[in-house]
Amino acid sequence: MLNALAAIGRFGRFSGAIATRVVRRPLFGRQVVEQTWTTTTRCLLPVVAVTFPFGMVMALQGLEIFRLFGAERMLASLISIATLREISPVLASVLVAAQGGSSCAASLGAMRIKEELDATEVMAIDAIKYHVAPRVIAMTLACPLLNIAGSVSGVAGGYSTAVFIKGESGGIFMAELWSFMQPVDLYGGLLKTTVFGLLIGLISCYHGYRASGGAAGVGKAVNDTVVHSVVAFITMNYFLTSALFGAVAP
Amino acid sequence: MTAVLAGLGRYGLWCVDFVRAVWVHGPPKGQTLHEAFRIGIKSLPILLIISAFVGTNLALQGYNAFKPLGGQRLVGMFVALAGVRELAPIIAAAMIAAKAGTEMASQIGVMRIREQVDALEVMAVNPLAFLVAPRLIGIVLMLPALTLIAIFVMLSAAYGVSVLQLGLAGHEFIQFATESIQPIDFFYGALKAMFFGLIICTVSCYFGFHCGKGPEGVGVATNRAVVTSSVICIVLNYFVSELLYGGAL
Repeated sequence: MLNALAAIGRFGRFSGAIATRVVRRPLFGRQVVEQTWTTTTRCLLPVVAVTFPFGMVMALQGLEIFRLFGAERMLASLISIATLREISPVLASVLVAAQGGSSCAASLGAMRIKEELDATEVMAIDAIKYHVAPRVIAMTLACPLLNIAGSVSGVAGGYSTAVFIKGESGGIFMAELWSFMQPVDLYGGLLKTTVFGLLIGLISCYHGYRASGGAAGVGKAVNDTVVHSVVAFITMNYFLTSALFGAVAP
Repeated sequence: MTAVLAGLGRYGLWCVDFVRAVWVHGPPKGQTLHEAFRIGIKSLPILLIISAFVGTNLALQGYNAFKPLGGQRLVGMFVALAGVRELAPIIAAAMIAAKAGTEMASQIGVMRIREQVDALEVMAVNPLAFLVAPRLIGIVLMLPALTLIAIFVMLSAAYGVSVLQLGLAGHEFIQFATESIQPIDFFYGALKAMFFGLIICTVSCYFGFHCGKGPEGVGVATNRAVVTSSVICIVLNYFVSELLYGGAL
């Protein structure tokens, strides 16, 4: 219990250290762009490969329910709302944590073990500023971008099952797609994933930066990164959903 | 592209080797229970937290989705169907891949780069049967149980949110939930979980066995293990769902 509290405190101080580095010049812009590009391109395929089948499953299960009521028209709006609000932000963030966060922890951890981080400090370059802060910013930017890709592919997955496999009308699907959509659905997912990306970036860099004990230590850092960041952002998701979509009893 | 195909081929050959090794040598005695404990009990707290919060969000989003139609009572049905049939197996599989799968990959990877795997072979112990078989049996036993626990926690959390936060009637929630799912759905969920356990264990151990040099090698192997196994699980989930619920059976 005390260890957990101490870890939370260390994590807070580490986040504070990053925050002071981000606002002060010089900002390593090149590093930020490079890291954002690698994170986005690396996670793009897993995110699309996961949201597309999930959209297909939603169409499969949703159609079965709506056929009971003869309300197949509703399928498209169910898929678009569920994907934009919940499925795509959560699945994209899980994959960003699994792919981007773990590779960030692995590379920082390997740098720590090989004393490359110490070498950076010896060269009078702030290791947190040069290695850590760009990764956190990159994760914060990449997560919403990947969420957009995930939303599009989720809806496309739903469309392909409903229209090509189950033989629903494609025109009705497209017409009903936006019928229950609110502006908050469009920006809510982006806002959520920005927060999730920030959490994933901070947690993965924290574990990578503090890795110790050789190759096994890197493995443990990666493991802890994925588990802790998923727990953190799914917990956060409940509060963000309650706040954004106003789900409180009248 | 060719690299992916080559990897797939290596994985297939590795699985054949594994089956043959287990067929000849059999799983080691006394290890399975230990692995089952490590996979099941150690992952339980995280699974409880995650499935509780997925349940709360299912209830919130179901409420929001059905509110314009005046069908808030359908929240129970939505939560039960989505939770029991799809989300609980997938969430449990993804969490086990993240927790136990990464652990398998990094443990075996570390053993590989420290040449402990070679040491096993020198001692005439087959490393595939000795290291992978107990983990496989452990995960295939534990994941269905964890999935059923996840279903229970998810539905309880959704009930809590619906009644306490959204002010819906509790008995309606329970009535719609019980009407929409059958006992067979729980069995299908457990079946899916067994299948996912098989994939997670073989993929993670495969990456552990083919770990590269040094600390980066272990990091890369762990990273690939979790991403590959969760992507494969979710992609195959569609086909399993189509088979179980799509009217093919």
